[in-house]
Amino acid sequence: MLNEKPTVKSTIKGWLYLLPMLVITITFNIYPIIKSFLMSFYTKYDFYNDIVSAYGFSNFTYLWNDPDFHLAVRNTLVFVIGVVPLNIIISLAIALLLNKIKFLAGAFRTIYFLPFVTSTVAIAQVWNWIYHSDYGLLNYLLGLVGVNPINWLNDPKWAMPALIIMSIWKGLGFNIVLFLVGLNNINTRYYQAAEIDGANAWRQFTNVTLPLLSPITFLVTVNGVIGSFKVFDEIFALFQGSSGPSKSALTIVYYLYEKFYTEWKYGIAAASGVVLFFLILFVTLIQLWYSRKHVHY
Amino acid sequence: MKKHTWLKVMASTVTVVLAALVMAGCGNSNSSSSSSKGSSTTDNKKVEITFWHGMNGPYQKAINSIIADFNKSQSKYVVKGTAQGNYTALQQKIMAAAKSRNLPTISQTTYTTVPDYSKSNLIEPLDNYMLQGSDKLSSSDLKDIYPAFLKSSKYEGKYYSIPFSKSTRILYYNQAILDKYGIAKPKTWDDIVAAGNKLKADGIYGMGFDRSWDMEFEGLARQAGNPLIAPGTLKVNLDTADTLEAANLIQNMVKNKIAKTAGADNYFTQGFIQGKAAFYAGSSAGVTQMVAQAPKTLKWGTMPLPSYKGKKATEIAGNDIVMFKSASADQKKGAWQFMKFLLSSKETAKWAMATGYVPLRKSAMDDTDFKQYLKDKPYNQAAVDSLDDGFQSTAFLGFSEYRNDLLEAVDQMITKNADPKATLTKLQATTENIIKTNKQ
Repeated sequence: MLNEKPTVKSTIKGWLYLLPMLVITITFNIYPIIKSFLMSFYTKYDFYNDIVSAYGFSNFTYLWNDPDFHLAVRNTLVFVIGVVPLNIIISLAIALLLNKIKFLAGAFRTIYFLPFVTSTVAIAQVWNWIYHSDYGLLNYLLGLVGVNPINWLNDPKWAMPALIIMSIWKGLGFNIVLFLVGLNNINTRYYQAAEIDGANAWRQFTNVTLPLLSPITFLVTVNGVIGSFKVFDEIFALFQGSSGPSKSALTIVYYLYEKFYTEWKYGIAAASGVVLFFLILFVTLIQLWYSRKHVHY
Repeated sequence: MKKHTWLKVMASTVTVVLAALVMAGCGNSNSSSSSSKGSSTTDNKKVEITFWHGMNGPYQKAINSIIADFNKSQSKYVVKGTAQGNYTALQQKIMAAAKSRNLPTISQTTYTTVPDYSKSNLIEPLDNYMLQGSDKLSSSDLKDIYPAFLKSSKYEGKYYSIPFSKSTRILYYNQAILDKYGIAKPKTWDDIVAAGNKLKADGIYGMGFDRSWDMEFEGLARQAGNPLIAPGTLKVNLDTADTLEAANLIQNMVKNKIAKTAGADNYFTQGFIQGKAAFYAGSSAGVTQMVAQAPKTLKWGTMPLPSYKGKKATEIAGNDIVMFKSASADQKKGAWQFMKFLLSSKETAKWAMATGYVPLRKSAMDDTDFKQYLKDKPYNQAAVDSLDDGFQSTAFLGFSEYRNDLLEAVDQMITKNADPKATLTKLQATTENIIKTNKQ
């Protein structure tokens, strides 16, 4: 059965298996992507009647010259750099600890996973309260160690850190579970061998755990980078339908949303989506190239 | 035999998937009509008018009862109202429905979308129904409706919307603070600044603003003599001396700790309840929240906003109702009857009493129920008293883009302490550019 040669019948059979997923992917992913690529070149566009009277590159030159878009790109990069590495380090640390304790590990896993499955809006509501400048929990705790109250959500300098902290916390659970799977997949014999060779806990971690965990780390990184580039709902919910004080949390997707839904500039919105697409593609390709050398399967 | 089985399995899987897709597609296209309540069998002969709105909770209840009244009042039409979430969601749904040609007969929307909707040929001018024919509004009707509402319903010489859920900006005051510090109710903005200076030592603000103080800013500019965008000519007055003075007044109040904006709280309601400020410039629609949240011990009241430079002006906010071109002639006729019903003195008074929005016409004030209502709930008086000085900002093509920029500028003047002169000069240029590009 496994060595069956491809025949017309078996090819049809294969396609039939693929069909349901293909139909869904093409309708809801591929077609919209093609459409938005096209839309980014519409310079004069009657959206409701779908009449395009002029094509061109002016949407992209608009983005090139728009300080708001520059800000959005900058903020997005700051967000990605702020969230992804810290998220990975913290979730790996927690996963290692969870892996060590057997007692109540399941309960802890559930607790850490909860934020991931809770709706972003509900989470943002709670964090809104935690961050509150007058009676927020965070400022209270900071006050105990002598830090002056920080106006987290109203100060343009602190809005982005506030967003990053919330996003790291929210993303932890999923990564912890992935890391736990990875840790469980490492054969204990490696550790036994390392022990015989006289490796201490730290050496075991750097020479056994880290290399053998690299496929999961790679998966988590790529996933995290792509997800962080597309951040939107956290901002919308945390800053209650705005992009933060003085646009301090304006990201590319928020920019796209604003252009599309409130300013009705469809071409520009599509163009910013295309820029984001290539930005993510570029970063992912770099990661793939890097993984060739450093990920051990 | 074996082959037959998998063929059957495959065939049935494909059928199920295709059927599911088809059904999902159908479900989508029908959702607008099937999601509204009521059985279609009994209403077979009646013309169905679909009405989308953004009212939730008690507001939705009020609107449903008015719709039920209308459906009972005549036998030809049946209005089916559907709540579409909040205003933002409603706006997005209209956009999606316009694209997929699934628009309702009428919908709630802000009048500021009228220029863009009419340019895209989505909405029907109401002149043929409102000013002509057997169902038209009489001239006494037209005089009875507050002029600010009629003005904003008109775009390029034609009526495109009727006013519906409207509120004004009013001033809330904390009676206990006023009594303790011997402060009289303010007549002018200078009085508020003076009160703020008096209260500053005790850590109490004179005035609280919502996160965005664009409405107070526009009100002050209007009182100083210039609308931010002149109606008709669309001359932009954002960098004039008067506008700058208005922005400076509010920014200085905040800088000098005489006033505070709500920031992440969005509305200053909480701050006001906690006694952080003697006054709060807020929406009259916020009265409902204030009543719900303020403890019984808090003595508070409302009054119209004080005058500035000897003039009074208060911005009216809220939504209108528009009629879409895609509806059938019969639906449009019925929709107008419903609109007229909403504008009637009795219904507008009922609507105002149920929701705290302002009544749309002057004669509603003579309604005995409404008089009793104001007597029972005196805090609703201020909004009604403000109506004669009410104004609405000028709508034009590209308004929503301009509004984004205005809100951003106002936000930066507080959160970044941006220089008003530089900010407004930049806003002036951007706005002029928006108006220019949209004219082409």
